[in-house]
Amino acid sequence: MTNTAARKLDRLDFSIAAVLSLTYVALLLATVKDLGYARDEGFYFQAARSYEAWFELLHTDFRHALQPSVIDRYWSVNHEHPALMKSLFAFSHRYLWSGFQLFREQGTSYRFPGMVLSALGIAVTYAWGARETGRLAGVVSALALALMPRVFFHSHLACFDMPVTTMLLVTTYAFARSLDGGIAWSLATGVLYGLLLDTKHNSWLLPVALVAHFILTRGAHAVRELLAKRWAFPNAFLAMALISPLVFYAGWPWIWHDTVQRLRDYVAFHTGHEYYNMEFLGQTYWKPPMPRLYAWVMTLATVPGITLVLFAVGLVVSFSAGQRARSSTPLLWLLCLLMCYAPWWSDATPIFGGTKHWMTAYPFLCLFAGQGFAFVAERISELVPHKRWAPFAPPALAAAVLIGPLCMTLHSEPWGLSFYTPLVGGAPGGASLGLNRTFWGYTTGAEQSFINQHAPPHGNVYVHDTALQSWETLRADGRIRDDLRGTLNIAGSNLALYHHEPHMHRVEYETWVDYGHDAPADVGTFDGVPVVWVYSRQ
Amino acid sequence: MPSARLLWLLVPIAGLAELGLFVIDARRAPRVSEWQAVRAEVAKLKRPADLLLVAPEWADPIARYAFGDALMPASDEARADVSGYARAVEVDALGATATELDGWAVREERAVGRFKLRVRENPKPEKVLFSFLDNARPPFLSVTAGDSGDSERPCVYTQHAAVSTGGLHGHLAFPRERFLCGGEEFFVGATILDDQEYRPRRCLWAEPRGGESVRLRFTNVLMGRKIYGYAGLSYFLFRDGAHGPTTVRVHVAGQEIGSYEHHDERGWHHFELDTERFAGQTADVEFDVASDDPNDRQFCFYADTR
Repeated sequence: MTNTAARKLDRLDFSIAAVLSLTYVALLLATVKDLGYARDEGFYFQAARSYEAWFELLHTDFRHALQPSVIDRYWSVNHEHPALMKSLFAFSHRYLWSGFQLFREQGTSYRFPGMVLSALGIAVTYAWGARETGRLAGVVSALALALMPRVFFHSHLACFDMPVTTMLLVTTYAFARSLDGGIAWSLATGVLYGLLLDTKHNSWLLPVALVAHFILTRGAHAVRELLAKRWAFPNAFLAMALISPLVFYAGWPWIWHDTVQRLRDYVAFHTGHEYYNMEFLGQTYWKPPMPRLYAWVMTLATVPGITLVLFAVGLVVSFSAGQRARSSTPLLWLLCLLMCYAPWWSDATPIFGGTKHWMTAYPFLCLFAGQGFAFVAERISELVPHKRWAPFAPPALAAAVLIGPLCMTLHSEPWGLSFYTPLVGGAPGGASLGLNRTFWGYTTGAEQSFINQHAPPHGNVYVHDTALQSWETLRADGRIRDDLRGTLNIAGSNLALYHHEPHMHRVEYETWVDYGHDAPADVGTFDGVPVVWVYSRQ
Repeated sequence: MPSARLLWLLVPIAGLAELGLFVIDARRAPRVSEWQAVRAEVAKLKRPADLLLVAPEWADPIARYAFGDALMPASDEARADVSGYARAVEVDALGATATELDGWAVREERAVGRFKLRVRENPKPEKVLFSFLDNARPPFLSVTAGDSGDSERPCVYTQHAAVSTGGLHGHLAFPRERFLCGGEEFFVGATILDDQEYRPRRCLWAEPRGGESVRLRFTNVLMGRKIYGYAGLSYFLFRDGAHGPTTVRVHVAGQEIGSYEHHDERGWHHFELDTERFAGQTADVEFDVASDDPNDRQFCFYADTR
């Protein structure tokens, strides 16, 4: 089924995509300086340093670098995740920080590949939206994605969540294009899916959505073709079966030997992942059954409401009677969206990652929102068909539906994980409802000035939920004074951080007992809600 | 033009309305400077024995920062419950009330800035005659470890033990002031645990270790009609309930008056023992804490007479 209704993208579309993505990267870079390093970033910094050293070795002593024991020495760090992004972090650090000195801070150089990939996601969302629904709808889709506060937060990080969101979108886009015929998009799908596999394990479920789409749109036809002994499957599937594993394998040296066992371990790590604690509606969950409403409620509570309204309109419009002839692509979007949420239909799936674990659904959500926008814009234009200002109605509508998300997103920095939409009463409403206020210990960045001003010379700072690797990067970047030492021992500290999560309160109480008082010396707040606070030994 | 078509205008209106609500939400909670500004008024209202608390509860760290631990000491923050307080000052920041004060009469209410300050009275305050926790030091308390008889040995009181903290996954804070019963980790002393809602509860750590019980002897205790107590272990560490129970046997003037058996998964749990026959007298009270499970019985309790 060829998608004949789609527009052909032209030079202006590519220009718009480029402007959107470049602007997004610029905005991310402009807002990164107050954002402390998240817990997992510290682990990925450490892994990237190790991988960078291996790449250096590969350059200087190729044969030695390829010895299994040497590979293990450098690639065992953080081997529970594949290597693509950490390798990009390493290259960015090597060339953009050490080499070209493009960045003043090492941390920003590690983060840059994530920013670029996030921006690529915005560009591809635009391209796909513009192709299916029109240029302005494409812009609305792209900006609706860019201006989700949680997406904006994660786009800053040297993590995998926005990269996998982009890679899953790009792979799906290539797959959709491959259905129009031609071998290039099929080959691209194979390569991209390999890179997606190399990004994060969210990739495992994508084939389910693609196969479901194939069965629903071409199943009957395929059966007839098979009966006639003709090839009935999309070439992209063949490429995914043949090329993707090679790309995946090539991109992750850790699995170059003991491959089967290491892949087993990789799968076992994620299918049997530990249950971390997460607060939801006033209750801390740490073991199954997990709340099945979690993903849905958190989506409602963190995605701007107007984006969800447009999504709902777009979803209905896409599958209404008059639109069925064109439903192949929206069906693919819907299947991908449902696939991204599918793990949270089980009450055994951990919920510790907040919204980031189903963020892969958001580009598809926004593509529907673009369809909803186009539909509403058409209806509103029809209200005033003969007025001179009728052509301005769609851009005015675009402004009306994007100004809120823009303001919310800009306001949310550097407290991205503390942000909640007006649907739940904003950050104060989220706190009153007992929704998670923060995790990952990144809000140390919001206290760095206080720490630098108040810690005694050569003092020890209890870093709480901030990984020591993240703390060390803050120090190396000059954001924390060089003489201060991060520690995980309250008893030996001069200042003690506390990043609020209910189950972590016990750490705060230990500070009370040791420091002999319960009054913080500083409190970091978002919209009047305490998120991180610091105790000082008196 | 059919009016139904105008409904599509609700979409941009919804977008702008959400923006408006966002601005309102972002501004509606008082800022730190406002909390600091209301401190003087709060200090005027609060008497030394009053409990000061804030609503909503999540604003508590800002209140502690702005008001200081003179107005909000850890002993109040980590209270066993509110039954022993006759009066409370409630600082209401967002039209909220403290659920712990449900049923307490509002004697006074005034608006200060964006806050409402309320003086509330407990309809049934229970007078605490003797707090075992607040008197957990010589000469009121002596501690021994081991089974009674030859193997029983005294625990040594010190005010200068090394403070030890376990972090998120480790033990509760070991206080500076404690009775050492053998090594740094076998002791009796006041600390704070996390209850089943992860709230702070001040308590006396009395861990029977390796099958050895600990015995706390309080002298000259003014007795009332009951011994009122709570017991628990760090809920975060022991919420899975994988260990055996811990038992506290209580003797007054040498007579066993009852016992309480604690199961970890209960969290912070209330117990009462009848002391009616000793009411008005002073007597020695002994808490014998034991467990058949030799491992990780990091038991902690609060008790008073009333």
